[in-house]
Amino acid sequence: MPLSAQHVSYTYTSRRGAPSFALRDVSIAIERGSLTGLLGPNGCGKTTLLRLLAGILQPHAGTVTLEGRALGSLSRRAVARRIAVVPQETHPAFDYTAIEMVLMGRHPHLGAFALEGPRDFDIAHDAMASTGTGHLADRAYMTLSGGEKQRVIIASALAQQPDVLLLDEPTASLDLGYQMEIALLLQQLNRERSVTMVMATHDLNLAASICDTVVLMRDGRIQAHGATGDVLDGDAVRRLYGVEADVRFHNDAGHLVVVPVGRAR
Amino acid sequence: MSSPTEVTAPVAPAHQATVRRHVAGGGRATKARVRATIGGFGVLAILTCLLAPLVGSTHISLLRAFDRTIPFADNVDAQIFFVARLPRVLAGALVGAGLASAGVVFQALLRNPLADPFTLGVSGGASVGAMLAISFGLSTSIGPLSPVPLATLAGAAGAAFLVYRLATTAGRAMSTSVLLLAGVTLNAFFSAVIMLLQYVSSFTEVYRAMRWLMGDLDIGGFTPVIAAFPLMAIAFVLIAFLPSALNQLSVGSDAAASRGVDVARVQRIAFISASLATSGSVSLAGPIGFVGIVVPHLVRLIVGVDHRVVLPASALFGAAFLVGCDLAARTLFAPVEIPLGIVTAMIGGPFFLWLLVRRG
Amino acid sequence: MAARTSRIVLALLLAYGAMVAGPAVRATTEVAFGEHGGHRDQQSLRVLRVGDGLRGSPAQRAPVVPRRIVSLVPALTEMLFAIGAGAQVVGVSSYDAFPPEVKKLPRVGALLDPDTERILALRPDLVITYGSQSNAEAQFARAGIRTYSYRHGGIATILESLRELAGLTGRRADGDRIASDLQARFDAVRIRVRGRPRPRTVLVFEHDSGTLRSMFVSGGIGFLHDMLEIAGGEDVFADVKRESVQPSVETLISRAPDVIVEIRANPPPNIDAERRAWLTLTTVPAVRNGRVHFLSGEYLVVPGPRVAQGVEAFARALHPAAFR
Repeated sequence: MPLSAQHVSYTYTSRRGAPSFALRDVSIAIERGSLTGLLGPNGCGKTTLLRLLAGILQPHAGTVTLEGRALGSLSRRAVARRIAVVPQETHPAFDYTAIEMVLMGRHPHLGAFALEGPRDFDIAHDAMASTGTGHLADRAYMTLSGGEKQRVIIASALAQQPDVLLLDEPTASLDLGYQMEIALLLQQLNRERSVTMVMATHDLNLAASICDTVVLMRDGRIQAHGATGDVLDGDAVRRLYGVEADVRFHNDAGHLVVVPVGRAR
Repeated sequence: MSSPTEVTAPVAPAHQATVRRHVAGGGRATKARVRATIGGFGVLAILTCLLAPLVGSTHISLLRAFDRTIPFADNVDAQIFFVARLPRVLAGALVGAGLASAGVVFQALLRNPLADPFTLGVSGGASVGAMLAISFGLSTSIGPLSPVPLATLAGAAGAAFLVYRLATTAGRAMSTSVLLLAGVTLNAFFSAVIMLLQYVSSFTEVYRAMRWLMGDLDIGGFTPVIAAFPLMAIAFVLIAFLPSALNQLSVGSDAAASRGVDVARVQRIAFISASLATSGSVSLAGPIGFVGIVVPHLVRLIVGVDHRVVLPASALFGAAFLVGCDLAARTLFAPVEIPLGIVTAMIGGPFFLWLLVRRG
Repeated sequence: MAARTSRIVLALLLAYGAMVAGPAVRATTEVAFGEHGGHRDQQSLRVLRVGDGLRGSPAQRAPVVPRRIVSLVPALTEMLFAIGAGAQVVGVSSYDAFPPEVKKLPRVGALLDPDTERILALRPDLVITYGSQSNAEAQFARAGIRTYSYRHGGIATILESLRELAGLTGRRADGDRIASDLQARFDAVRIRVRGRPRPRTVLVFEHDSGTLRSMFVSGGIGFLHDMLEIAGGEDVFADVKRESVQPSVETLISRAPDVIVEIRANPPPNIDAERRAWLTLTTVPAVRNGRVHFLSGEYLVVPGPRVAQGVEAFARALHPAAFR
């Protein structure tokens, strides 16, 4: 089990002092090589869980373990060499080029004062090639299209050479074309490079199309966890979103599709 | 629908693709390139500091100035060179480097290229300290720190401490929006206090205070530099650890954390070191504007945005820039000296307008 | 969105910068064109009019001796008391301190904040103002009150103002007498120092305590310069046609004054620190020969009837041998 959480809880305290639980007693184990989808309505805690799994947040109760070792016991760089995160949106404050953005992924492998060497450049170019962004290396990141930007960010995460890739709503701000592009890319990376992936999303069809495992969350707790085919059905959708949906296998697509039908009575 | 393994034809961008040219083309911070760039700026800084004391409003003979046979106490040319000009040039280099690097650090910390060393209220607090010392004729000194610089430091430290407390929750990363809000609010409050102080002060005190606000490097001896040096040295040492982390931080807090950066710690070091550099600079020369924002922008136009190059290059170019501005201030209309802040504003204002026009 | 936000922020920054730079540029223009006097307080504005300084409608300019006078200008208050019109003074400025009688009088503000309500409540028939206080003067004119504006200048102007006030208050004889006394004292000093070599002197009236930064000295015009000339000193900055000059350290060293006179209204808290500050300029003759003098007293910085006392103090510092 590369990455798992045992009985983790996390609380956000508002300034007025009233605590609100983001996660209560959540336990989850991510299978090596899986492409897991974290599904749930807004505010269910999936982003918080993702950040806990990445080590960006420390749980208030419970532990997150990587290869059997508690994340807290590893140095941040050590964690970063194994786990990479693709955030929902990236807005750099300065006008970095795409290759500079990708090279930033090499940070956990370099010392504090080190500059990137030829090997780092090779890894970065390799990562960009694998996301189809090799030709964009010297372009300014901010001038790229939405899909290109996201692919560059994925490349920068790959440059970290992680075992696990955590993605937060990777297609949320993209149009249908780019959504498809990213979805296929992730699937390909998962299969060809054996990168374990965990993806938080509220796009049920995205999860249905590429995730082999799904985790359903609501109100800071896990409702269900298992193979997509077993877990994702009409009942699950109704329980999570209060929406009646038709969940069926689509022959042409080759995977499950979720079609919302109406509000649940 | 294209699959990611194909080479996708680049989508025509809506506006000009900016393929920036870096020092030697290609835009990557390879070791040799970085060394050459920083070396180049270093040479510029050293040359400026070597040449600046040679020029001034009075004509002096360098041979006489360096003539050891004449006792120093009798050697007017030597006095002008070593008491009037050289400390001024050194102070200018120190302040220029301090303000420029503080500007870079704050811009990365606040994730905003329009931030400058004075955004977070440090100079407002420093100004209040200086005004109090001037208006109430404070006369306490500590060692080489005379009353006005001492009060300036105290004010700056107070402001920085306030902002820090407002924006920090134990163990968590600083919220940049709270930082910005706290700083801007404090600045506004300090401006009001300064206006009140000016209202209740006598005319000459007001004029002296206004003159202080315009910046002045005419320190007349090495004592003020010695007083400010420890603070600046600490600041520079701390800043030296930041460049790589600042790159990461300027992309986003979570992104930086996920790449192994201790975000809370880096933010604290950045805030403290940049505040120290700003406080030391303001106590030495008053709040000189535009250096902290013009120099980083100029440097980025030349070398790109990698902080590992931008930070040292800005410090060096800032030193050269301010020494150059001071040279202009004291020679353009000799023997009348233009306040330094006016020279930097006259250069900075148009530069910014040009940047805006260019971007648009 | 990001570009628009940065543009707004940039515009705000530029506006803020203009706000700060505005007064700076204005102040510098004032220095460059001599509008600023720099020495003690209010006595530092140039009045644009030349003439008797008297305003008000023709009807009010009938020669009625004022019975109730309010004065916003300390130097002119002193003059009023000197010529014997002190009993008619019913209100003074926040900064008046001499003669002792003014301490009991009500305060009505000063240059920046004249309290016109308080002044009007005192029912004056003459108000002495600064030339720049045009708003206040307009109010008084509407209320039918005469005003007399202070004129800024050298010793000649002081004597003229004295005579004008004497004329206004019907005390011409006293005014002439005081003016003659002052002239006599000036002449006495001139005689004492005649023939003696005139030392090159700098008259310093402001700087940061303990250092030489932010130094303001008297330039080639104004009453301080005139005082120095009478007292037998050669003003090192006589060529600068401004009342106050801010010299750089380089300028001080190169002009090499023989005597430095620091003048203040009140003595410095730590005179040793001030002496030490000068010691860095070892080539300056004044420093080498120990001729750095610290004089303090209100009479040194107020361009009023006590100016002769100031001249005598300068003369004693510049030519000690002439006064033994």
